[in-house]
Amino acid sequence: MTDKEKNENPEAGGPGDDSPSESGEFGLAAPTGKFGESNSSDRSGVGDPAANVSKTAAKTPGDFKQMNWKGFEEEEEDPDPSVSFGDDSETKRDDLDMTPMVDVVFLLLIFFMVTASFTLQKSIEQPPSKIEDPSTNVIEDPEDEDDYVEVIIDQTNTYYVTSRDAEEVEAPSDREMRDRMRDAKRTTGAPRLIINAHVESMHQKVVTVWDAGNAAGFDEIEMRTTDEDY
Amino acid sequence: MSSQETNDVLPRRKSDDEADLDITPMIDITFLLLAFFVMVSKMDPQLPVDLPQALNGDVIPEKNCVVLVVLKGAGDDEYSIYKGLTKAGADKIVGDDPVEQEEQIAQYVEETLSRNPTIQTILIKAEGEVTTGAVETVKRGVAGSELGLTRKLYVAVESTQ
Repeated sequence: MTDKEKNENPEAGGPGDDSPSESGEFGLAAPTGKFGESNSSDRSGVGDPAANVSKTAAKTPGDFKQMNWKGFEEEEEDPDPSVSFGDDSETKRDDLDMTPMVDVVFLLLIFFMVTASFTLQKSIEQPPSKIEDPSTNVIEDPEDEDDYVEVIIDQTNTYYVTSRDAEEVEAPSDREMRDRMRDAKRTTGAPRLIINAHVESMHQKVVTVWDAGNAAGFDEIEMRTTDEDY
Repeated sequence: MSSQETNDVLPRRKSDDEADLDITPMIDITFLLLAFFVMVSKMDPQLPVDLPQALNGDVIPEKNCVVLVVLKGAGDDEYSIYKGLTKAGADKIVGDDPVEQEEQIAQYVEETLSRNPTIQTILIKAEGEVTTGAVETVKRGVAGSELGLTRKLYVAVESTQ
């Protein structure tokens, strides 16, 4: 540690010593260049004194002002090696350009995430129910007209899949109900699906059957409810 | 680079930069929190509905619907029906008799549709745990309204895709 510090200290002294000398060079260099020009003009002006004098007279006041201003500015900035302040201000500007953009991007991200979560809700169209008692619905049998596939949901939320000529098959799971319904649809080609749900069955089950019916490609889905235990 | 230089120069830089860096992220986070709470506070009055899940469905904007919400009660057969999305006490359908409930629903649908004839859809937001009979009660209530019969009826689901 101490060795490093010792090693660093002379280095630290180095640039610190260099910087004033650089400033001195800058301070000197600018005027010397101008003086050099004036000197050269004076030297060349030996041939045509009047014209050269007018030129130098015209040039000198403006040039001196510029020189003075430049010299002052450089002397103020130079003595510290903190010329890097200029660089710092540039980097600050870069940072300030980035942050609001990032902020706006994050805000937009959050906005779209929130709106996207709302579009998760979808809807299934259902025909309006006929105003009749659920018990009378079961008695009439309009199933003679067409081929149909029927799914019964009993009071314990169990599915039974039947088609026109087939026997009822119990489908214990959602997946099996979907498979059996698709098979029945493929074998019979029936255009109609009848959902016969017990009033105490869960709404989720009805929606699942309806959804499966839409996926299987039935043209018409009809729903009935019953309060008779199966 | 060197210790002297860092001692001389860096404290100034740090003090300047820290002042800037302290303010901007704080403002950012404040705005984020503001936006978050604005969003959340708008959602709050809505009833939380645990919709049944389905693979397919149409996207229907709730704003152009007559909405009826069916929530599950404490018991297996218990449920409560709300007129609209909010939980205001006046919007709850009272009574246990399905026939009375149907009449109230029919009246609500009829009034809303006669006030806003441009509404083309009726949306039933029923929880998956609710019995089919409760949903059927709402459907029959909608069918009890003459104007309700001329509109399309939708049942809300949660898309699993």
